[in-house]
Amino acid sequence: MEQFDVAIVGGGSAGLSALKKLSDLNKSAILIEAGDKIGTKNVSGGILYSKNDPTGRIFNVEDVFGEDFESSAPIERLIKKYYLHATSGNKIFTMDLTPLHEYKTNFGFSVLLNRLNPWFAERASESAEKQGGGIITGVHVSDIQWIENKTIVRTNELEDFQVKSIIAADGINSEVAEITSARSKFNPEEVYFGVKVIIKLPEKIIEERFHLDSSEGSAHLLAGDITLNHVGGGFLYTNRETLSLGAVYHYNSLLSNPVAPAQLVDELIKNPLVSEYIKDEVPTRGENDDLSKEDQLKVQLSVSKLIKTYNDLRYKYFSKNNGGLIESGRFNNTEEIKSRIDSIKQDLTEKYGTKFVNNYVELEYSAKLIPDGKRCVMKRPYYNNVLFIGDAAGRGIFIGPKIEGINVGIDDAVRASIAVSRSIEKNNFDSDYLGNYFQSMINESPYTRQMIKIDEGYLSLFLDLVKDISFSSANPGFEFGLRMMKNKRFRETALRLANILGYKRILPIIESERAYVKVPMQLADKLGKVVTSSYTPEIPALSERIAKLQYNDDTEPHITVNDKRSEFMKKLILLCPTKCYSLEGKDVMLQHEGCVECGTCSIGTRWRHPKGEKGIRYRYG
Amino acid sequence: MLNVGVIIKLEPDFSEGNVSYNSDGTLNRAETKNILGPHSAIACNAAFYCKVKYGARISIGTMGPPIAESALKQAQVLTDAEELNLYSDRLFAGADTLATAEVLKNGVEKMFGADKMDIVFSGHRASDGETGQTGPQTAWKLGYTFLGNVMDFDIDLDRKVIVAKRLISLQGMDTIIEEIECPLPVFITIDPSYKSAFSTVSQRLGANKYSKQGRKKSENYAQFLKTYDSQKLDLDPKLVGLPGSPTIVYRVERIPRAKTNRKTAIIDPSNPDNLTPVVTKIIEIARGK
Ligand SMILES: Cc1cc2nc3c(=O)[nH]c(=O)nc-3n(C[C@H](O)[C@H](O)[C@H](O)COP(=O)(O)OP(=O)(O)OC[C@H]3O[C@@H](n4cnc5c(N)ncnc54)[C@H](O)[C@@H]3O)c2cc1C
Ligand code: SF4
Repeated sequence: MEQFDVAIVGGGSAGLSALKKLSDLNKSAILIEAGDKIGTKNVSGGILYSKNDPTGRIFNVEDVFGEDFESSAPIERLIKKYYLHATSGNKIFTMDLTPLHEYKTNFGFSVLLNRLNPWFAERASESAEKQGGGIITGVHVSDIQWIENKTIVRTNELEDFQVKSIIAADGINSEVAEITSARSKFNPEEVYFGVKVIIKLPEKIIEERFHLDSSEGSAHLLAGDITLNHVGGGFLYTNRETLSLGAVYHYNSLLSNPVAPAQLVDELIKNPLVSEYIKDEVPTRGENDDLSKEDQLKVQLSVSKLIKTYNDLRYKYFSKNNGGLIESGRFNNTEEIKSRIDSIKQDLTEKYGTKFVNNYVELEYSAKLIPDGKRCVMKRPYYNNVLFIGDAAGRGIFIGPKIEGINVGIDDAVRASIAVSRSIEKNNFDSDYLGNYFQSMINESPYTRQMIKIDEGYLSLFLDLVKDISFSSANPGFEFGLRMMKNKRFRETALRLANILGYKRILPIIESERAYVKVPMQLADKLGKVVTSSYTPEIPALSERIAKLQYNDDTEPHITVNDKRSEFMKKLILLCPTKCYSLEGKDVMLQHEGCVECGTCSIGTRWRHPKGEKGIRYRYG
Repeated sequence: MLNVGVIIKLEPDFSEGNVSYNSDGTLNRAETKNILGPHSAIACNAAFYCKVKYGARISIGTMGPPIAESALKQAQVLTDAEELNLYSDRLFAGADTLATAEVLKNGVEKMFGADKMDIVFSGHRASDGETGQTGPQTAWKLGYTFLGNVMDFDIDLDRKVIVAKRLISLQGMDTIIEEIECPLPVFITIDPSYKSAFSTVSQRLGANKYSKQGRKKSENYAQFLKTYDSQKLDLDPKLVGLPGSPTIVYRVERIPRAKTNRKTAIIDPSNPDNLTPVVTKIIEIARGK
């Protein structure tokens, strides 16, 4: 049997960071990822932060992947502005919360994980190969066994191999956690559910519409009636030539008031502020009723081709350096590109009856559970010689508008790497030596503190930012609370008291329908401006969204339902983001082919990731 | 050290959008893109497997015009080959399979500075009108054991023997898998069903390392390229090109279109109602009506 020092299970940002760091510590490690390529299984919102904290060291992305991260990595935009929009019907009240975004922040970039993680992988494997390690994709770890002091890793694809330690970075639906019973499955109280669509929009239109300089971006959070009465809210982040539009809701709140996830996104799209943000001029094929069926199809084919050329040229025209159209010699100047686009447009309109209408273009629909660190962080993030990091360890910062998981996973990865490296040097992988040390390092992380205690500085800043909003007209109860909080001395005492009570007791107050739905709606109603949209977006049906996704179907299902008649599984008929469940007689039946591996059904099923290379293949993530 | 040779071929790319035909229905070779033939690519995969599993070094050879270099480059991406050989001479023009085999035999004998090769792979056949005889004829000329349709193999380096699984068709009646053990050297034509099975972590890491290396090497493939004309290959002009080709192509017949009495109806799938008659028809056929 082959032997290795370290196996890292999972090639998301946490696992890749561990591989990079361990290799830079001159240790050899192999990383096993189930997806056919790195990045195809990972989803985020997402803003990747680099943070600082006076209370302790944070290991940031640039510490792991190099100071040239900003100039070399495929990041989307540097987030400069951060807004919260309270919504009620067509009334919107906007607050500028940029100081919250800047709080303890070195930088925050919008990212797409299917671009970023492959770049992490390239850097990590370069370092790993020097140490005799590397990345293996398309392999699914199915079991781990401890036999006579040996740790044996079993996969669906390769011969078993032996390791001295394991870093489990296999995400929120960690099978390693289940195999080792290091923690129980997360329950709906402990997690949030995220659903997202990627929307295409030309680079320069994004900059013009959001008032951005080139390479800069903004983040927009939404709360109020767009939540359909759930605890959570929407987000819209600008990428280079796409927008990430999504929503995150407390799973419990979805269970008590079930709604189809796609509808949560649709609700955002229908909001006039959002529909204006995502608007583009989209060609739609006209009818040619006077032609025979056969000729109609022929025309449709050539129109499709022409529209494709039109779109390609237009997106390039609206991007930096005109997408290289002039450099490559295809065109002499910008005017020439413009007139070519115009002439295709004219052809399409006059010859083929194509209409150019206001609409929006969706590229990818995705969904995933997110750990709410303050509720589900693993108290003891190890078992034997296995260390848990990132989502697998339930580590993430989820407070108000703040969702941070990528940066937390990177920080965890460095700590795990240092602990494992120390064990390799001493050849001691006992949990007393390895696990305890890792635990102490994790406890030193400022992120851990933020998962256990309220960050008073952050909350104070929030209160400062909203202190001038005249709540009196909005909500008398909140006004009283706020007035008290504005008093510095009272605020300090109150925060201390809150921290003594602990998150568990005060969460029902902070994370309530009142805070996420009612108050924002009242604010919008009383103080908001009316926003109107110039069109009605044509929202694709779920079947169209699924049809755009890429899968490599497995013939065998990776999920088995525990109790086909349970109330929980009945709710999944509505809650599964791709409608994999349906009722047949009295039984809830699964059709696994459309599964996007979000994990929402995992608590009521025997849930495994699909075998190597199988399942969903996201293109943006 | 295991020495592995691969014989490859630059072929027209028959995939959609890349192939062009003359008005008489024959292939327009000037307009059609050329790529490393799909069967050659599978032979490359088999050689690459030998590199990863047995640490083999790889030499690739092809007979063709100077543009065949591009096939050698693509093969280097797939194999991380140490050596690329182009056998190119005007004298080779008009060669049939026998004359081609003569060139390839001398080519193989010159690989790695005339070191003896242990295995030579070639594709099952070419996709542009070849008859699958080049491989066996080259093997015969080289005096190597020939193994056709190999779909899987294992090598015992100490004993210098290969155990190969071959697909055999019994006069079209049935297909069986034959397992055969024989001493090296061998000449193998690889079956299209072959897939490299890297089954251990080390093999997967090795495969990653060598394919990265191969991609990098191929950027400077000219450094690895050796070009041979008939003189350098010590060939007898009577045995190559047209003079060395006993095959006479008497006439090329176009395959006549089969007569059918099918009727085509185009259905617009955007209206689901249109699908009902289709489904009804399928059910009727399935019920044998
Ligand atoms: C809608 C949404 C918005 C978010 N917004 C943000 C944000 O703005 N900022 C932020 O920082 N974070 C955000 N997050 C959270 C963040 O995306 C995650 O915390 C982070 O991506 C988790 O990384 P990870 O490496 O721990 O896990 P994952 O990215 O889940 O990676 C786990 C990997 O392990 C692999 N794997 C699993 N099991 C096995 C197995 N048995 N064998 C082999 N491989 C296996 C999987 O294929 C996967 O690639 C958001 C999340 C969502 C869903
Ligand atoms: S089947 Fe389960 S894991 Fe798959 S998409 Fe539906 S809820 Fe998510």
